Amino acid sequence: MSVLADMQSRMHAALIDPHADPAAQALFAHDGRLGAAGGLAIYQRGYFLRIAACMREQFPALCHALGRALFDDFVADYIRDCPPERHTLYDLGRRFADWMEARRPDGDAPEAWVDFMIDLARFEYAAFTMFDAEGNEGNVFATSDTADSALRLQPAFALGRYRFPVASYYHAVRRGEAPLLPAPEPCHVALVRRDYITRTVPLSAPHYTFLAAMLAGSDVDAALARISARFGIDPMMARDMWCGAAGSRERWIEWGLFVAVDAGPVKDI
Amino acid sequence: MPVAAADGKLAGLPRLGLGLGLRNVHFDAILSGEPQDLWFEAISENFMDSGGRPRAILHAVAERYPVVLHGVSLSIGSTDPLDRAYLASLKRLAQDIRPAWVSDHLCWTGVNGHNSHDLLPMPLTEESLAHVAARVRQVQELLERPLILENPSSYVRFAQSTLSEPDFLRALAEETGCGLLLDVNNVYVSCFNAGSDPIAYLDAFPCERVVQMHLAGHQDFGTHVIDTHDRPVRAEVWELFRIAWARTGGAATLLEWDDHIPGFDDCLAELRKAERYMAGDTVSSGAAECVRGGDGVSNPVGFLIPRAMASVMEDAA
Repeated sequence: MSVLADMQSRMHAALIDPHADPAAQALFAHDGRLGAAGGLAIYQRGYFLRIAACMREQFPALCHALGRALFDDFVADYIRDCPPERHTLYDLGRRFADWMEARRPDGDAPEAWVDFMIDLARFEYAAFTMFDAEGNEGNVFATSDTADSALRLQPAFALGRYRFPVASYYHAVRRGEAPLLPAPEPCHVALVRRDYITRTVPLSAPHYTFLAAMLAGSDVDAALARISARFGIDPMMARDMWCGAAGSRERWIEWGLFVAVDAGPVKDI
Repeated sequence: MPVAAADGKLAGLPRLGLGLGLRNVHFDAILSGEPQDLWFEAISENFMDSGGRPRAILHAVAERYPVVLHGVSLSIGSTDPLDRAYLASLKRLAQDIRPAWVSDHLCWTGVNGHNSHDLLPMPLTEESLAHVAARVRQVQELLERPLILENPSSYVRFAQSTLSEPDFLRALAEETGCGLLLDVNNVYVSCFNAGSDPIAYLDAFPCERVVQMHLAGHQDFGTHVIDTHDRPVRAEVWELFRIAWARTGGAATLLEWDDHIPGFDDCLAELRKAERYMAGDTVSSGAAECVRGGDGVSNPVGFLIPRAMASVMEDAA
């Protein structure tokens, strides 16, 4: 290792864990107004505060749920175990939910509130990612006249399944409310972006299955067949859920879930 | 890219006048008002991987104003290999937006595969100079344009450093043909913390290589100062600007404001103060304001997305 590489490795290690190498300050001149320790401390402090501020921006509802002090404690442990890897700050929270799952504070005696925090972290990162994902703005969306066989999901679309109503909790925090921790309740949602507005769409279990099939490449007919088989729903009733008087088709098209493609062969998964 | 070619391209860069850092809180004001005699500097990383509104906004701004790209994660001084994916993404953005130039900092942001998201100082040694020069040449070759590098603000000096920062940057520019971005607030911050003379720094700085200048505010903690980009430019920095701007022959000048960002018109008013000093007015010393407490986090980059995002929740599918 070169002298330069050694110096950079030691300084970076001192940022990640200020207590790991007390001799790290010997890297620096002791002159100046701050001295070696004082100057290094500014970088150490800035490293954590900057990342914590960005994490609070990515996870506002989780920060609300945990309280800022506890949230910051989680972030401190998280970035010590998983130091940022990519050039973009948007990537900071990518591993947060998995890290919380692996480092559950309730250990061998699972508690519901921890499950909620993990699910909330997963939803918030999915929502955060959707805001700047590749989308269909500038291109044509499907219309109500588009044939079912030509409907495909647009790129800025994601599905999620959770153990708690995390989407409604998240939106309540975003509205400035102070929601209480909810009781467990299965929650299926779609996230979709049109005109740079991200929409959260609550789903029933059959709707989720239908959209999951389409996300995997099925067309509408194959996706309807999937929910009939999975939930024992009569095919006519399944079609009615899709395009009947109270069906989802028109609203989903209006919300920008679909683009139109030339209908070709599709895989029936 | 041979040095002579880089030098030639550098000489052909435009004198853009006064500009502002592109920040999301100003998007609507920038695009709704009449075009002004202004240019904008976009933080490259906030737009490189964007498939959402930020990239669309940058397109719209670039249709109306000159734009330059300013990076914070090139990590030109790191001993990790150059990040080819990052450079490819930066090049795509540059081909798309056609900035007047592309800049970053004389710093490293991480090592061993990690990123600190801070602009960390270089040991200023001959080894570092050779290392950085080789990487600048590679980047210029790939981007097909001279790189513009900024002097960072710093709070430590490596014990093994043997070169001053102005001497390091002069040698780097001569060896590679790169241009320089002179941040006079960083000069003040680094010199104050080091207990050295900022005028002597400017005297030694290769002002003839300066393509752009930065102005920004900092927090004065009495014992030290931190480059926070969260307040107006202080009198001491205006004085450095007055001296340096004349020496650069009128380099493009940009105001950075990254935290507690005021409205667009207030930022413009702060920027327009520069015209007085460009005309040669001397700076009257303002009352020194010391901050007691507070976070005082150096602010190399505004985090763009969260405050710019809009969302709704439907009642049911």
